[in-house]
Amino acid sequence: MSNENSLIEAAKRGSATAFTDLVGGYREGLLRFLLTRSSSYADAEDALQDTLINAYRYLHSYDRRWRFSTWLYRIAINNVVRLKSVDTVEIGDIHDEGNDPLAHCIAASDRENLWQCARRELTDEVYSAMWLRYVEDMSVKDISTVLDRSASWTKVNLMRGRKTLDAEFNKSTAEDKSKAYG
Amino acid sequence: MDNLAKKLRTDAQAIDCAVSEDLDDRIRASLQGITPEPLASSKPKSFSFWFASSLTGVAAAAAFIAIANLRTPETVVTPPMPTPTAFVLPMIELKAKTAVLTAPLEQEIKDLQSDIKKAEEAVKQDIDRLF
Repeated sequence: MSNENSLIEAAKRGSATAFTDLVGGYREGLLRFLLTRSSSYADAEDALQDTLINAYRYLHSYDRRWRFSTWLYRIAINNVVRLKSVDTVEIGDIHDEGNDPLAHCIAASDRENLWQCARRELTDEVYSAMWLRYVEDMSVKDISTVLDRSASWTKVNLMRGRKTLDAEFNKSTAEDKSKAYG
Repeated sequence: MDNLAKKLRTDAQAIDCAVSEDLDDRIRASLQGITPEPLASSKPKSFSFWFASSLTGVAAAAAFIAIANLRTPETVVTPPMPTPTAFVLPMIELKAKTAVLTAPLEQEIKDLQSDIKKAEEAVKQDIDRLF
C-alpha cells in the first residue's frame, strides 16, 4: 500500500511511468469488466483507455479514504454510462450471440457462463454490483461508493442478483442432469 | 465462499482477455501527452479585497435605504366583498348508519401486519447471513 501511495504521489507530480506502474495490476480486471459491458472488443479497449486517461488527468481529486481500485471502477462505470448512448450495449439487449464480444472470449464449456446469464437477467447496476462483489472482492461499502447507492440498496440488490443467478444455475444443472439420464 | 460465488469467480476467469501490446502502447502514448490537472487552490484573499467588498456592500445598503425613503407610502384600497345573500343552499338530510362490522377487517389487518413483520425479519436474517 505504501508503494501504491508513493506511486500516486509520483504520478500526481506528472510521472506517466509511475501511473502506468500504478494501474498495471488493475488493467486486465478493468478490461474484463468493460468487455462484459461493451458491444465490441474494440469498444472495451477504448473504454479502458479513456478510463486510464481520465484517472491520470484527475488524479489530484483522488481521495485517499477510498481504495484506489474503487476509484478506478467508479471512473470506468461513469465512462460506460457516458458511452452507452453512443455505442455500448444495454445489458439484457444482447440477443445476437454472433456480435457479443463476451461470447467470443469465453472458452467452450458444457454449461452457459454465469456472466452471460447475468447480462441477460440483471440490470446494469445489479450486474456491476455482482461483478464488484464476486470478482473484485469489494465490500458492500465500496460497491455502494462505486455505484453511488446506499449500502442497503447494494445489499438488497446483491441478494436479488444472487437469487436470480442461483435459480438460473440450478435450472441449467437440472436440465443437464435430465439430459444425462435420458 | 459458497458454491455460487465460486462459480461466478471461475466463470469470470474463463473470460479470456488480455491487454494487447498495441493497446498498451496506445495508452502509454496517450498518457505521455497529458499532464495531471492540479486542484484549483483557494488563495487567501488580500486586505484590499475585503476592504473593497465592504465598501461596495455599505454603498449598496445606503442606496437602497435612500430609495426606500424617497418613495411615498401607497394606500391600498380594497373593494368591499359582495356578500352572497341571493343563494341559500338547501340542507340535505344525510341518512347514514355507523358501520358495526369492522371487527373481521381489523383482525385481517392485524394478521397481515404480522405476516409483513415476519417476512421482513426473514429477509433481514438472510441478508445478515450473506453479508
